[in-house]
Amino acid sequence: MKIEKLHSTKKIAAQLLLLILPACAIGAYMLWHINQYYSVLNNQWVKHTLYLAAGLLTGCIFYNYRFRFISTFIPLLLLLLIISRVIRVIFTGEFTAFYAATDFFIFSFLFIAGWLIGWGFARLRYFPIILSAVLLAIQIIVVSKTTDITAQKLIIAFAPVLIFSLYIIYTAELVRNMNDEEPGFAWFIGRKLIGFALVAAVLLIIIFSFFNKEFKAIEKEFGGGGKQEKEQDKESLTKQNKDGTLSNKKDMGMKGGRKSSKRLVFIAKLDNYFPGTETPNPLYFTYDYFTKFDTLTQTLETDSLMPSNDLFQPDPSKIPLYFTQTDSSVLIKAKGNLKRKIITTEVYKALLSPKDFLAPSTAFFCQPIAVEKEYRQQFKTAYRAKMYVSDLNSAYFIYNPAGDSTLLNFQQQRFDELRKVKNWNNEDNSFMSYYTFIPKGDSYDSIRNLAQQLTKNAATPIDKMIALREFFLSKDEDGQPLFKYTENPGIPGLPSANKLTYFLFENRKGYCAYYAGATLFLLRALGIPSRVATGFLTVDRSDKNKGWYWFYEDQAHAWVQAYFPGYGWIDFDTTVPSTEQHQSPAPDGTPPITVQSAQFVSFGKVLTVDTIKKRVEMEVNKMIFHDKVFELKEPVKLDMDVSLATINKDTGSVTLSELKKGMEITAMSFSEQMKNIIPIDSNSSREIFSKIPKPAPIDEITILDTEKEKQQKKEIKKEKEPFSLLKLLLVSLAIIGGLVLLMLSLPWLIYRWFRFKALQKSVPKQKSYWSYTSTMYLLNQLGLVRNDHSPLQFAKQEIDPRFNTNFSSFIQVYLKTKYSTQPLTTSEENIVSNFYLPFDKAVKNQIPFKQRFNKFLNFYRTINYFTKPKI
Amino acid sequence: MEQQVNTDTALQNIQRLTDNIETVIKGKRNQIKFVLTALLAKGHILMEDNPGTGKTVMAKTLAQSISGSHDQSVNFKRIQFTPDLLPMDLIGSHIFDDVKKEFIFKKGPLFCNVLLADEINRASPKVQSALLECMAETQITMGELTYKLDNLFFTIATQNPVEMEGTYPLPAAQLDRFFIKIIFGYVDEETELNIYKDYMGINNNLNNIQQVLGIDEILFLQQQSENVFVHEEIIKAVRNIVWSTRRNQDILLGASTRSGITFLKCLKAYALVNKRTYVIEDDVNDLCLPVLDHRLIYRNKEDKANALAGIRNAEMERLSKLKINA
Repeated sequence: MKIEKLHSTKKIAAQLLLLILPACAIGAYMLWHINQYYSVLNNQWVKHTLYLAAGLLTGCIFYNYRFRFISTFIPLLLLLLIISRVIRVIFTGEFTAFYAATDFFIFSFLFIAGWLIGWGFARLRYFPIILSAVLLAIQIIVVSKTTDITAQKLIIAFAPVLIFSLYIIYTAELVRNMNDEEPGFAWFIGRKLIGFALVAAVLLIIIFSFFNKEFKAIEKEFGGGGKQEKEQDKESLTKQNKDGTLSNKKDMGMKGGRKSSKRLVFIAKLDNYFPGTETPNPLYFTYDYFTKFDTLTQTLETDSLMPSNDLFQPDPSKIPLYFTQTDSSVLIKAKGNLKRKIITTEVYKALLSPKDFLAPSTAFFCQPIAVEKEYRQQFKTAYRAKMYVSDLNSAYFIYNPAGDSTLLNFQQQRFDELRKVKNWNNEDNSFMSYYTFIPKGDSYDSIRNLAQQLTKNAATPIDKMIALREFFLSKDEDGQPLFKYTENPGIPGLPSANKLTYFLFENRKGYCAYYAGATLFLLRALGIPSRVATGFLTVDRSDKNKGWYWFYEDQAHAWVQAYFPGYGWIDFDTTVPSTEQHQSPAPDGTPPITVQSAQFVSFGKVLTVDTIKKRVEMEVNKMIFHDKVFELKEPVKLDMDVSLATINKDTGSVTLSELKKGMEITAMSFSEQMKNIIPIDSNSSREIFSKIPKPAPIDEITILDTEKEKQQKKEIKKEKEPFSLLKLLLVSLAIIGGLVLLMLSLPWLIYRWFRFKALQKSVPKQKSYWSYTSTMYLLNQLGLVRNDHSPLQFAKQEIDPRFNTNFSSFIQVYLKTKYSTQPLTTSEENIVSNFYLPFDKAVKNQIPFKQRFNKFLNFYRTINYFTKPKI
Repeated sequence: MEQQVNTDTALQNIQRLTDNIETVIKGKRNQIKFVLTALLAKGHILMEDNPGTGKTVMAKTLAQSISGSHDQSVNFKRIQFTPDLLPMDLIGSHIFDDVKKEFIFKKGPLFCNVLLADEINRASPKVQSALLECMAETQITMGELTYKLDNLFFTIATQNPVEMEGTYPLPAAQLDRFFIKIIFGYVDEETELNIYKDYMGINNNLNNIQQVLGIDEILFLQQQSENVFVHEEIIKAVRNIVWSTRRNQDILLGASTRSGITFLKCLKAYALVNKRTYVIEDDVNDLCLPVLDHRLIYRNKEDKANALAGIRNAEMERLSKLKINA
């Protein structure tokens, strides 16, 4: 049996060009269309089309050879299954595994779909009809998912599929029935296709012109006029991290609405009071600054290269407990000394990612602190932060502008103070041009005009800003607020229009990001350096616990900061209060009031561990005593009582037996005994050690990753990080390509191996065997099969007459070596040694290279050669 | 170990015999080989073909090529089988001798060296069984007396595949006695033309056949064929083929163990006929159908062509890929 082509090469080419290519096109179209409805496809329809096309192409070409369907399709499925298993095994525990598996699943699905379609085109006569039916069914299902159907959508969904169906049924039959022997073959096909295109075009035009009314009627019936504003998927200012924690969105742009859920993100104690009073002064918690406007994407972006970068963004999860990270350069870059002071805050994270750091503007210090045991369920981690804040900032100014006379007075004082700033003449040019950048264009000119118009009566920058704020709070002729707060501002209908102008002049509804963005441009239009800050709005609801603030998910916020020389960046919020939104109804819970301050923290190596007496001895290199850090020049031995201590690793709480000699640990004590030690010389570590009780009462031990482990972990991460789906795709394609190449060249390689053996052997018996095998293999591959003949007959009757060789006399000698124990005579030995190369040459001379090449590609013959016939 | 055959003389003798027969029987080299194989394997041969294809000439030529005692050619007898033939007509009968006043045994035509049993299927089963007993036992039992046949007793039976009315087809057990069954067949066009051209010559040749070998030499060749070397793999192949016929679904009755032994005997003889002292896979290929086909009972007539050939091909495939001694 040999595997032959079903059709001539010409016909296969016609199939690929006329059937497969259009099928790829319709596949691309369908994937693009379906992609709009199913988020799992992830906007990667181009890639998916490639998957489908790969399946189509290989399937069609493969089944143009007489391969059996079931016996080839099942191995394919198995192969895909195995690869998917392997992917799952390789990427255990990583989130990438999920994505890789999903992507591979999509690949498998599309590849198999393509494969089946290719098979159908190659083998089944009525396949185009089936395919058309399936495509239509898919489109019907997809369209039925949508709630609002417009005539346009119907046409988009069905017209291409219908055209494709007509085309494919027509063309498939054309390709099937064509006579590829005919000389004008290509022209014949071309003529038919042009004819078809003309007919299809005429039909379409007729349909559209005649049934326009009907389409409109359908539209009305299904979609209610198509004018309904569709709610877009809400996007939140916070984003869900993979591990379920929350972070502020990096690319907070001007899109989507805000999610208003009531999940607690974090709580904070803020030691900020109005000067000279006991009234708490809440401040906005900043996460990031958006300073740069990308004109191309029309979005605001963060920029790590912004001038005077005063953003302090440590990763608290990477700082050992009670150790600190500070960046004093921030204090200078904040560019303000007037009315500034340093305050502290303690942040207890609930949903907030352990990696995130939030603090009121200009933080410079971060110290992870322990969470009290009872609160660990609720708050995973905590840190203390220090900020260089301005007295002029307050979260009150926006939401409670009126009411408390203290506040009103204070606001007035604030404005008076800021009125001292008249201009930015002394500022650096690059700084000014960066923070007052505004793109050119009509829409920005209109913003500029609006800004000028609104502030024509204002003299100082702060007055201008107040005027802007008044604008946002102003009321229209009917006494209704001009601007409204809404979570769903709607999509601007005109695609080319700028969202900001749409918001400012037409819609006037939006959420904080809209207000912040619009204000930023108004300010910059006036030449006031400004930036958008994101973070959390602080709402004071804490009558019981002064200074404690609760932050829920819906408090994620964006506002503007304007720069005042000497005072630094001042918060400026123009977002109007929401008429619908109510204050968080849930009363805030109890904060972990007794903020534990570690009296004593030591850092060093474990020397001995006694699990019975619960004693640990360690070598202290570094310690913190009463919040003061001591670097010890000579390590000090410390005997510790750990009977009450909890031992933590980054994976969680562990038992004392996990503690091993040589481990790097930090030991902490909250003990009163420690608190009561008052050293005479607070700088002498020796004195402190002498006063520490022996053994020292320790409450918490944290095992740190040693550097080696850290590095290993990093390396593992590094190895895993550059993993990309594209790479996986390329690698798997390379593997598949390699396999295909190997499979194609395998028959030839086997031949070369036999040939090598035949030439290499010198013992007549072995040489005759390998010569015989090699020859028979070569003949088999070239399609000269022994069939019913015995080898000798085969040689005598078919091979020798054809190639004019002495194969039969060789076979006689070979059979003698095989079945007899008699030694060969010299003449027989000569026959053996002089047989192979001349024969090989004779065969090659008779059969041209092209023919040999084609025949050597036929893997099936090779399989045939090596399989036993069934009786 | 392969026994050292007195190769040269044996092989020369075979060559002489073959050549001699070929002077008369043209274009039938394979058939001659099969006949000689059956002869050397101490067996008998059944030829099936239409009348006039040269079966009788074949038998005659063979007989005349072998010299018996007194420079005469060996005893050649021919019996034309008919339904009314009686066993006595074959083996002879006791007749009363008037002179000696006693019954003496008058030998029938069976007492010969080469017997041509023409159209064996036309005789009654009684006669058939009488013949076949002789073939198997090389002796004739008449009442209390047993008569030994000659050392060289070779039967060439023929059968006509057409005109089956009024015939008694041989039962499988009796067919088993024939080592080889061949279809004699027509010669090819060119040979046929040559035959016509010198048809007189055939007659002349037939009349002037030389006696190339003596009975002793034939007996020696028979003995020599026993010494032909058979490789273990060939024996295995015979075993495999025999077993396969028993397992095959299209075959009702598979080959017996005796068939296998016969097969091996024939292989050895065939190798010798082909001037070899060892059996090769081609021998298996050539002999499989002639030796085994008539012993099998097939489910359908249509299967006949394929079943055994398939088995043979499979075994040949195995043998041809086998790596022995290399």
